[in-house]
Amino acid sequence: MAALVVPTHRRPPGIYRAAHALRTVGAVVFALLLVFVGTVAYSAYLVATSSTESHSMSVQFASNGTVEVSGTFSLSNPGWYPIERLELSTRVANGTGVLLGTVLVGPTTVASGTTGVFPFAVAIPITPSGPAASLLTTDQYLSVRAWGNATYAYLFPVSVSLTQNRSWGAPFEGLQVSVGAPVVLGGQVSVPVRITFSDHSSADDVGTMSFVIDSANLVPCGGANFPISVAAGTYFDQTETVTLESGCSLSGGHLLLTYTTPTGTVAFPPEPLP
Amino acid sequence: MMAAPPPRPAAPEAAPARIPSLSYRILVAALRLIPGFLLLVALPAAVLTFVNSRGYAIPISVFAVTAWGVALLVIGAAQYVLKPTRAYGPLSIAYSSVGLLYLYYALSLSPYRVSLSGGTASFAAGYGTFLEVLMIVPALGIVSGLLTTIEDARSPTERLPFDFPA
Repeated sequence: MAALVVPTHRRPPGIYRAAHALRTVGAVVFALLLVFVGTVAYSAYLVATSSTESHSMSVQFASNGTVEVSGTFSLSNPGWYPIERLELSTRVANGTGVLLGTVLVGPTTVASGTTGVFPFAVAIPITPSGPAASLLTTDQYLSVRAWGNATYAYLFPVSVSLTQNRSWGAPFEGLQVSVGAPVVLGGQVSVPVRITFSDHSSADDVGTMSFVIDSANLVPCGGANFPISVAAGTYFDQTETVTLESGCSLSGGHLLLTYTTPTGTVAFPPEPLP
Repeated sequence: MMAAPPPRPAAPEAAPARIPSLSYRILVAALRLIPGFLLLVALPAAVLTFVNSRGYAIPISVFAVTAWGVALLVIGAAQYVLKPTRAYGPLSIAYSSVGLLYLYYALSLSPYRVSLSGGTASFAAGYGTFLEVLMIVPALGIVSGLLTTIEDARSPTERLPFDFPA
């Protein structure tokens, strides 16, 4: 005959079991989150120390009348979690902090164990009255700032800000245009116009320099154009003699200088005449 | 002659509780303070001090970590000592509530910003979502404490045989 098993312990009441189960679930969740945050912290440390960098960033004078700031930002992610929804905004400001151009990259994802490379190019049109005009004639430092937002390890929003200053060598550094005293010869009035500058850019200045002298009431008095070929890093000094239209007064007028290459023309800020 | 009916099983009974003495519970609670202190106070304070010494400013101070940790230790010790009493449920609620406030305090300091050497790059990490997920833990503790409080109010000794089995 089978022995009768008589229970000697009763089951804990439901409310007790519920309280106990909640405590157990809480402890398990806490332990899992501790492990998770520990691995995230270690991965984030790896990312932070892997150095987000900009590589091969160049600032160059493009012949279509623009200055182009181009390069790549790379973000290495040696950690265990992806960097998601990464968006980078890049802004370029001139030496006085005036915004010259901006470009957006993303959104994108940098998977764990990979390196994201983000090329960018900011084309800055040069106009005589625009903020980029000083790039033609003044060496300066351009502030290139990139910042962006991303989500790391699914739960952690991260913002990144990178700032770099890049030196800019002006292709017509220290441009000086001086108009000499008028000379009367054979009933015609002519003036010498001297143009000096240094090419501090990385490229040669090869093109045609043109100028027009306008009177105070915007009547063209004369002008000239001549080819130039100035090697990078060299000094340019040339004087051109311009025959003025009869009756043209230079007082209060100005000189308009342009530089033309086969692919574009750049106008310099007007040079007032004494 | 009819066969005798089989014996009825005895009604399930809770085994008698074997409640440790007050002095024993105090001793154990004091011993539990050692790992608790290491986990809640010493380790976070050491990490903060180490990170600060490396030039990274952490928004939460060593004093705050110590204060919150000591508060949790004191309530946790009282909770253990008073486990056989009706104060256990309310103390469980208090413990989890302090933990919840601790997390809320840390949440108010998010995001954490750090500038890397040279000042050319800076990172800001928000941990608000993580802390909100972590708040599940003390929230569960509060509900658990509430259930224990209700159970103790209905039947003050009901859980003792299960918490302190003989």
